[in-house]
Amino acid sequence: MKHRNLGHFFELLWGMTEKELRARYKNTVFGFLWLAINPLIQMIVIGFIFTLFIKDPIENYYFHLFTGLITWNFFSLTFTKTTPSILNERTLIKKASFPRVVIPLSIVLSNLINYFIALVIFIIPVSFLGKLTGASPAYFMIGFFMLACFTIGISLLTTALNVRYRDVNFFVQAILMVWFYATPIVYSLSQIPNDLLWLWRLNPLTSIIQIMQHALIGSAPPDPLVFASNTLIMLIIITLGIVIFTKESNFFDDWV
Amino acid sequence: MKKNNSIAIQLTNISKKYEIHHEKPTLVEKIIKGKNEVFWALQDVNLTIMQGERIGVIGPNGSGKTTLLKIIAGIATPTQGTISTHGRVVSLIDLEAGFHPDLTGEQNIYLNGLLLQMSRKDIQKMLPEIIHFADIGRFIDTPMYTYSDGMKLRLGFSVAVHTKPDILIMDENFAVGDETFRKKAMEKIFELQKQKITIIMASHWIDFLKQNCTRIIKIEKGIVMPSK
Repeated sequence: MKHRNLGHFFELLWGMTEKELRARYKNTVFGFLWLAINPLIQMIVIGFIFTLFIKDPIENYYFHLFTGLITWNFFSLTFTKTTPSILNERTLIKKASFPRVVIPLSIVLSNLINYFIALVIFIIPVSFLGKLTGASPAYFMIGFFMLACFTIGISLLTTALNVRYRDVNFFVQAILMVWFYATPIVYSLSQIPNDLLWLWRLNPLTSIIQIMQHALIGSAPPDPLVFASNTLIMLIIITLGIVIFTKESNFFDDWV
Repeated sequence: MKKNNSIAIQLTNISKKYEIHHEKPTLVEKIIKGKNEVFWALQDVNLTIMQGERIGVIGPNGSGKTTLLKIIAGIATPTQGTISTHGRVVSLIDLEAGFHPDLTGEQNIYLNGLLLQMSRKDIQKMLPEIIHFADIGRFIDTPMYTYSDGMKLRLGFSVAVHTKPDILIMDENFAVGDETFRKKAMEKIFELQKQKITIIMASHWIDFLKQNCTRIIKIEKGIVMPSK
């Protein structure tokens, strides 16, 4: 199943991505507005409840929340959709021999485009906050790039494994619930006691969300040690994802 | 087109093993039980198919016909052995697969063509012909959920045969809608045959194959029987 040529690979990938984008908001009244409405509702609810409990308030809490929420929503939506994607597209798998990787990749790509649009809209209120600096775009791009790579890597891993072991899909749903609270979205890492900080070093999303928050609302960038261990774990997951997907994708037809 | 007498498909010592899973395995079971039962769908198949041949594959249900076709189409990967195919392989099995109900006919043509390894430019060039052959008419820019089953099959068939295949894989009972279109479809296939493309069809009916094929391959329990 060699990629016959790279040009066609990207044409196909884009074709599949277009399908995802077109199909998603078909026959909806609000269309792309849903991108902003969901995290907005979450932000208002969580913001209202948590400000009642948190003792030392986070600066610009609603902005902090919204940055985390749209980033998290991108990740969790993509991750839940890619994991069973090969099974959902089993008729395609049985029909033709195209590079299987376009199935999960097109989902990631279409959601990345949606996430990017949501971020661009979000920039408008953020610019009134006055926390944007000359370095912001650079941080923004680093965060965006890391998020894209990590989402692709972990998606490839679970997508490939879920073809044989259908438990993976349920595992992903379960872990996402925990993962949400294990990521500094509703709180800030500065509120975590030092002896517990190692837990956050294990979660690559910590650095990614912190970089995004740093880029947009000027909160503290990730601590070097957290960043280093996050990046290491990210690289391990991405490598595993690519290796396992490449190996397994030859045999998807046997299992769907 | 290409020279006569060049090899289209070469299978060398192809075997295909499937693990039998009576139920979908869970990770826990796998760890506890270890190895699964196995089943050899194909065993040590050697086959050389020349360009322009019309091959009929015959054998009872479960003999490995479909597995053989899948391996040739590149959909399944053999457990052992090597396969080389020359040119574009297109299968006429599962014609509607890959169509998205919310996309229009035209958008679906592009998507399906891309999946069958056509370039966007080639699809654009063939578009009028594909639409004309499928006889979809003014439905072409409406979402596919408004299509009848026959229309979907016609469109699927039309895209597949307009991809300029070098090797065409089909099943005996490939359904392409009503009698009129079936005739038109067969005519199209005969027309492709004249252009020296290789055709491989699977069937239970020896008479059908004798009528339409230049060579018949008999397959039983995963083993290719020596030809008489």
